[in-house]
Amino acid sequence: MSELALLQNYLLIGALLFGLGLTGFLVRRNLIVMFLCAEMMLQGISVSLVAWGRYHDDWGGQMLVVFILAVAACEAGIALALILMLRQRSGSLDIVAWQQLREEGQARYVDREVPEEREEPPQWPRLTPAGIEPPWDPDEALHRSHV
Amino acid sequence: MFEPQTLLVLIPALPLAACLVTVVLGPHVLRDSSHWPTVLGLVGSLVLSLMLVASWQQRLEVRGAPAELLVTCWSWVDVAGAYRQAPAPPSPTGVAVQPGGLRDLRVDVVLRADALTAIMLVMVTFVSTLVGIYSIGYMRGDRGYWRFFACISLFVFSMTMLVSVSNFLLVYVFWEAVGVCSYLLIGFWYQKPEAAAAGKKAFLVNRVGDVGFALAIFLIWITYGTLNFHDSPGVDGVLGQARLSGALGYVGGGVGLAICLCLLLGACGKSAQFPLHVWLPDAMEGPTPVSALIHAATMVTAGVYLVTRCAPLFTVSPEAQLVVASIGGFTALLAALMALTQFDLKRILAYSTISQLGYMFLALGTGTLAGITAGMFHLFTHAFFKALLFLGAGSVMHAMGHVIDMRRFGGLRRVLPVTHVTFAVGCLALAGVFPLSGFWSKDAILASVHERAHQLDHELAHRQPQPGAAAGHTTPDRPASDRVVAGVDSHARWDAGREGGSGPALSTGQLRQHARVYRGLYWVGLGTAFLTAIYTFRAFFLTFYGRERIPHEAGEHAHESPRSMVIPLVILAVGAAVVGGWLTGTGGFARLLAETPSLTLATIRESAGAGGFHYDIAVASSVAALVGIGLAAFLYLGHDREIELLTWLLDGRWLKGLAERPWGARLAGMPLVAAIRRGADAAGLGSLARLLGNLVLLLILLLISPLLIGYYVSPYRLSRDKFFLDEIYAVLVVWPLRATAAVCDAADRWLVDGLVNVLGRIPVWAGGLMRALQMGLVPFYGLAMLLGILTLIAARVLWGAG
Repeated sequence: MSELALLQNYLLIGALLFGLGLTGFLVRRNLIVMFLCAEMMLQGISVSLVAWGRYHDDWGGQMLVVFILAVAACEAGIALALILMLRQRSGSLDIVAWQQLREEGQARYVDREVPEEREEPPQWPRLTPAGIEPPWDPDEALHRSHV
Repeated sequence: MFEPQTLLVLIPALPLAACLVTVVLGPHVLRDSSHWPTVLGLVGSLVLSLMLVASWQQRLEVRGAPAELLVTCWSWVDVAGAYRQAPAPPSPTGVAVQPGGLRDLRVDVVLRADALTAIMLVMVTFVSTLVGIYSIGYMRGDRGYWRFFACISLFVFSMTMLVSVSNFLLVYVFWEAVGVCSYLLIGFWYQKPEAAAAGKKAFLVNRVGDVGFALAIFLIWITYGTLNFHDSPGVDGVLGQARLSGALGYVGGGVGLAICLCLLLGACGKSAQFPLHVWLPDAMEGPTPVSALIHAATMVTAGVYLVTRCAPLFTVSPEAQLVVASIGGFTALLAALMALTQFDLKRILAYSTISQLGYMFLALGTGTLAGITAGMFHLFTHAFFKALLFLGAGSVMHAMGHVIDMRRFGGLRRVLPVTHVTFAVGCLALAGVFPLSGFWSKDAILASVHERAHQLDHELAHRQPQPGAAAGHTTPDRPASDRVVAGVDSHARWDAGREGGSGPALSTGQLRQHARVYRGLYWVGLGTAFLTAIYTFRAFFLTFYGRERIPHEAGEHAHESPRSMVIPLVILAVGAAVVGGWLTGTGGFARLLAETPSLTLATIRESAGAGGFHYDIAVASSVAALVGIGLAAFLYLGHDREIELLTWLLDGRWLKGLAERPWGARLAGMPLVAAIRRGADAAGLGSLARLLGNLVLLLILLLISPLLIGYYVSPYRLSRDKFFLDEIYAVLVVWPLRATAAVCDAADRWLVDGLVNVLGRIPVWAGGLMRALQMGLVPFYGLAMLLGILTLIAARVLWGAG
């Protein structure tokens, strides 16, 4: 396999990792998952750095990757500690639980709207007297699902 | 022991040092002994001033010694070629005033002593030393004890500098400095709203005068090209030898008159003369020693000092002299009338001060050496007896628990024996009773005014036979020998000197008018002497005689004041009693003052004439004073029936009663009117009769309206309410100023501030547009970041690739 093809494969993998991490970071709300996604983005970058280093035949890329690992380790320590504290405070790992830092007067983001409950009393079907064939009532047939 | 130069520097330096020491150490270290630096500094200044006068006497014996002493401290302003001067117009006698050319603005801090300065220094330091000692007792226990003494010594520093600097600009500086001290001390009890308001009033009214002084300085600068009094190399000072000897003249005409009137406006502000006198009575809100020192003896005489110092400038415009004399005479009379009905002991003394300052201006307005000497002499003696009276009033206040209303105490001669005797001496001196100080100085003033009128008459008679001297014939084309120079007896002697001098010239009509005014002013002065005796002794009798009444505020304190207060009273009383007679008898004052360089100008000097003792005038003024005292005794000793009658007559309450009578009903009820009515009805002319009757009623109403006006502005009310001058000023000056201030305030608040606020709201509004994006959701922030980066990358790829 030629050097260029190898590089392309590695870069493809790195881009996929980065894209997956980015997507995950944007769409997931669990703090730990978001953190892992961010790590995944870092790994994607690291893979492409290593690939470029190999392609150019120097150690710069690898050296940067070592830096990234160190920084990521530190970041992991801090981030996990923060997540722990946030979990203890709010009782949840949901990032949306920490939306107080919004502009004054902005509406709070609520996950889903609970449908309003109907106020009017349910309409119960009238039972026909037993023993005779009831007349066909199309209205009643419509309401049968309420039973 | 010291060189005179050292003395001159040390005299102001000691109070300044005392002020600094008191300010630094007073609040925490010295506390209740804060008076020591001030008293020591003032005593030192007094001793040095006396030594200066003594050295001056020695100098006088050495003929040919320069009559002035200059000490150059440092150069304050030095701007080369500050002003290109056009040649000043020549003086009335045709002598050049100032050649044109490039002038340097150079202001050196030069202390200058001459006889006038020495006299002022002695007077200021003497009174302030005694007042300082008195204040130890009077101010004891006050919260601002150290503040008081710091202000007093700062004031003495400013005042001694004011009289000894040798430059109009520096005079202005210390003029303002004494004004600041006055402001600080009037508002010394600043928690009291009246005191704060009085301080503000004094400050603002003085600013009006200061505008005049400033304008005078500007005019002097563009006319004479220098502001120095003395000659310096290459520059002839305004009061320098070149001008005084007649080599250079003083500018006359419109510019000269303007300079004099602007100076006079400044002097009127500081010395509380007629249009600007309203601040002095209110200044009595300050502590009494301050009233004695600043508002009676020293600071208020700064205006008199200024006019005396600038006497040569006044010689060239007789109109200005006439204005000075008229303002002085008018103020003297007006203030004496106001003093007649006041009940506040200190306020009576304040009006009396205004009145006596008016006397001084009256004397200065004569423009003769005798007049100026008389004015300065009255300033000197007045400082003694007015300080004495104020300190006596302070002693009364101290005993009465700070009650000053004379209706609430009385008969205090047994409670306050020493104060009683010293106050009596002060009253006699103020009223001008032989042989106390006031008699001599007041007599000298009246004599000088009388003599001036007489001189003008004489000159008129001298000129009458000459056909060429018709009225309205102006002077510049007339030969010098026709010019009016006061002092007719000395014509022959001074003919030569007058050629070089800058003698003023008047047309015959003006001469006649001036003579009439001066004669009128003489009678005004005499009448004021009479009024002075009345109001002085009214206050004296109300305070010390009659039934003994002590207000409850006095409590246990109704006893003679402590020794520190009594001793200055006694010293001042001795001074008030003998200083006038002594100085008149030996002639030392006049001799010393005549050595002042600015008074050696030919036109002033040749008017020296008599200036001696005038028996006729002395008798007239003594009779006026004695009649006044007798009248006061008649009215205020014993039964107050006569006062009630006088008050009733002058108050005009009966006028109101008269005006309120139901005249119409009365008229209708009269039998004659009823008969006419019946007859008219019978003849069928009833409507005509009713019309006539209504017309008569209207006529009666018209006749009554002056009665109502008379009620509201009766003589008593005019005097008690100070001729409504405060109210008139309130309407004419204060209200328009308030309205202007309100308009400016509104403009500032709505226009200027509004503009700034609008500009400030723009960022807020722009930020509001982006506000919706800040929703607190971290994933959204992440998305925004991603979009931003994508935008940047897209921009880089699309446009920035090259």
